[in-house]
Amino acid sequence: METKGQRVRHAFITAWALAVIVFLYLPTVCITIASFTASRYFQFPVAKFGLDWWEKTFNSIEIRQLLSTSISIALCVTVIAVTLAFFGALAFARYDWKGRSIYQKLILLPIFFPQSVLGLALLLWFNMLGLQLSWMTAVFAHLVWIVPVVTLVIAIQVYSFDPALEEAAFDLGATRWQVLREVTLPVLFPGLFSGALFAFLLSWGNFPLSLYTTGADTTVPEYLYAKMVAGYTPGVPVLGTVSTIGAAFLLIGGYGLILAMRRARQSATE
Amino acid sequence: MAARPTILSLKSVRKIFGTLAAVDSINLDIGEGEFFTIVGPSGSGKTTLLRMLAGMEQPTSGDILLRGERINDLPANRRPTCMVFQSLALFPHRTVGENIEFSLKIRGEARDKRKARALELMDLLRLPQAYYGKNVMKCSGGERQRVALARALAYDPQILFFDEPLSAIDYKLRKTLEKELKDIHRETKKTFVYITHSLEEAMVMSDRIGVMREGKLVQVGSPHEIYSAPTTRFVSEFIGDVNVIPVDVAGDGLLKSVSLKDALKGPVPPKGFTSGHLVIRPEFLRFIGKPSEADNSVSGRLYNEYALGSRIQYQVRVGERVFIVEKLRQQMFTGKLDDEVRIGWDAKDSILVTD
Amino acid sequence: MRRLVQLGQGEKSAIPLLLFLLIGFAAPLLAVIWFSFMPARTFSLFAAPSLANYATIFESTSYISFLWSLGLAAVTVILLALICYPVAYGIVRVFGKWAMLLTLLFTIPLFVSENIRLYGWILFLIKNGVLLGSLKSIFGLELESILFTRTAILLGMVYVYLPFMLFPMTLGISMVPSETRDAAFDLGASRWQVFREIELPLSMPGIVIGFLLTFVLAVGAIAEAKVMGGQRIIPITHDIEIAFTYAQNWPLGAALAVLLMLVVGVLVLLALRRFDLDRFLGRR
Repeated sequence: METKGQRVRHAFITAWALAVIVFLYLPTVCITIASFTASRYFQFPVAKFGLDWWEKTFNSIEIRQLLSTSISIALCVTVIAVTLAFFGALAFARYDWKGRSIYQKLILLPIFFPQSVLGLALLLWFNMLGLQLSWMTAVFAHLVWIVPVVTLVIAIQVYSFDPALEEAAFDLGATRWQVLREVTLPVLFPGLFSGALFAFLLSWGNFPLSLYTTGADTTVPEYLYAKMVAGYTPGVPVLGTVSTIGAAFLLIGGYGLILAMRRARQSATE
Repeated sequence: MAARPTILSLKSVRKIFGTLAAVDSINLDIGEGEFFTIVGPSGSGKTTLLRMLAGMEQPTSGDILLRGERINDLPANRRPTCMVFQSLALFPHRTVGENIEFSLKIRGEARDKRKARALELMDLLRLPQAYYGKNVMKCSGGERQRVALARALAYDPQILFFDEPLSAIDYKLRKTLEKELKDIHRETKKTFVYITHSLEEAMVMSDRIGVMREGKLVQVGSPHEIYSAPTTRFVSEFIGDVNVIPVDVAGDGLLKSVSLKDALKGPVPPKGFTSGHLVIRPEFLRFIGKPSEADNSVSGRLYNEYALGSRIQYQVRVGERVFIVEKLRQQMFTGKLDDEVRIGWDAKDSILVTD
Repeated sequence: MRRLVQLGQGEKSAIPLLLFLLIGFAAPLLAVIWFSFMPARTFSLFAAPSLANYATIFESTSYISFLWSLGLAAVTVILLALICYPVAYGIVRVFGKWAMLLTLLFTIPLFVSENIRLYGWILFLIKNGVLLGSLKSIFGLELESILFTRTAILLGMVYVYLPFMLFPMTLGISMVPSETRDAAFDLGASRWQVFREIELPLSMPGIVIGFLLTFVLAVGAIAEAKVMGGQRIIPITHDIEIAFTYAQNWPLGAALAVLLMLVVGVLVLLALRRFDLDRFLGRR
């Protein structure tokens, strides 16, 4: 059906999608350019390029502290979120039980909730419980929003999981634990892996929840926000660039790994 | 066969995907009011061919003529033809009535007129009128088939195309629907072009059958011709289990087989025929006592038997070769497994085919 | 050893997550609701409940912030729908083997803090920034920056929430079986009729989810107005934040939050009520 009208339509759609990609990446490009300028203030066209700010940023103890806080939070969130979401996803998509359709909608609610309001609500709640705010309360706050997201990501994989595989393993004499380790987890691995990636990156980039729940600790997005509102600081583009490139590497590397594994498995069966 | 005026004509139609010729130089004339079935295994190009006829693909080269007019470039929505899809492609968000009326609504016909026509078609297809407002996804498999057919008929097409619509239906219902479809064909007098991978299904319904293999049409003929006079081994094996013996034509007109000791008596080979296959359908083989009771005979060991409903199939091993013999249940063979048996057949019951 | 109540696999797997959301989501919301009935400027939980905070709100000009938030969110959603539909359609039907790569490209920005990306827009739009700086040095044009205007806020919101519209929409469009489109076309429908009669209604679940998600996120947006708009507009989230931080009037903030939750909650529940998630996510 390669008619002329269709070709025109396809050309339009392709051009449109490319324009949206440019739109999405334009700010990232600007930040990268800014991070390589040598001057104290950003001006375009850039008069002089240099790595001065990269050096200064990475030698700063404060920034190292920020990075370590952000990474600690993201790692804790990842481990806890994937564990909770794995069972949550089984209840979501694998088993048929009475409360399932209500359950499916209940766990979506935190996703459909303004995050800044959720952050304030958690602030008030922690305060009521008399908890000292720190990076650990931030982990909890992140989890409230991230666990439902990860549950959905894993559930999509669970939907394509054939329960007969588990039954076959039982039938062949495996214990419940062996079934989980030998069949369920390996088959669901791509979903769990994607879920872990989502958990880590969403926690790493989160601002509205961190803002009210980290107490004296500070994450990278919070620091950037404080600096941005205060005016131009050349360290901001550097951290921004690092953050973007890090996310891209994790994602592309992660999906590359999944693809490579799938290919290896395919060539082994051929 | 009575000569019909040609409605659809294919002239060297080809479709190339990359380097693969999915449909390779097909020439075919389909007559007005004919029930024509294209049979082929999956990957033989039959679906691609049908999609070109319906206007959803365009041929790479060649012409498609509808009543003599070239329609290669006419898109599907402007062709006076309509297709019943393999998945049926019913609109899940619409009722039975709305599905049937779809093309009438598109044409902008008035609501009451649309409804009258839909109910008329539901009658024709034996769908209860109460189903008019029923959610189409709540219908059973057989009902959905009828809705899909009614929807296509409402378009009032000059040709109806069918893309294996019965393939996902269980055996018993399929048999019923095959006959119903043939009845509908008789009632509507429209041209039906049907594709399927089951020659058995094609036999039940069709006026003529075309057998496709690797993009080419290998034989076209009436169901009887396809059954009793296949021209190639491929066609002869397509209908079901047959005995195929590779043979060479010896100087005296007798057929020599590498695997069997004796020369075989068969049909007179056509001129220029030097080697091919002798095909004997299992029902033409019989158990005999002496070699003289049939034109050809071999002896072997009765290996196993299989009950196929009204018939019983026997497997006889003759050296490396396997012969299959079928008998009606009433004429069941009484030998025991591993017995030495002799089987034979007459020359007139065998067919000579090319590879 | 038979327990009194025999829990199935489903219930057992659901319990940890439900417990967590009870403590982490339901309880905080109840706390906010309870707090909204406490007297203004207190941190006590045990005063006599009253509607005083709500009365204060209805007498104040907070409704302007509410209207701004809802209006901005609505405009954002409409713009996003127009921008995303062709892209989502392309990912499902046009791009073929490139669809994977494009999806990845659309995903990456999702994981970079929105602050950073908004900051990139500032660098692009600001006076002597990438856009105006280029115009000036190449064409000698000196234009006013659109930064710190309402347009800039809208740009920021559309930008940040784009993936949240795009992905549900893609999922929705991919749910339309391509044979139903072929069938409609075959029955004489034009391109536009196929779109209106088949494609749009069948991809509606994804579109509704996209609308809902982006609307809720946009209503809750706070950084866009501050970073891109230079406080040109005060959204309701900003009022709530002020009440909780500078004003130290938690009960008032809580009452504002409750009102916002009501608006969002009603919308979400209405939209999700008749929604079959199994079909949407599992394509059964």
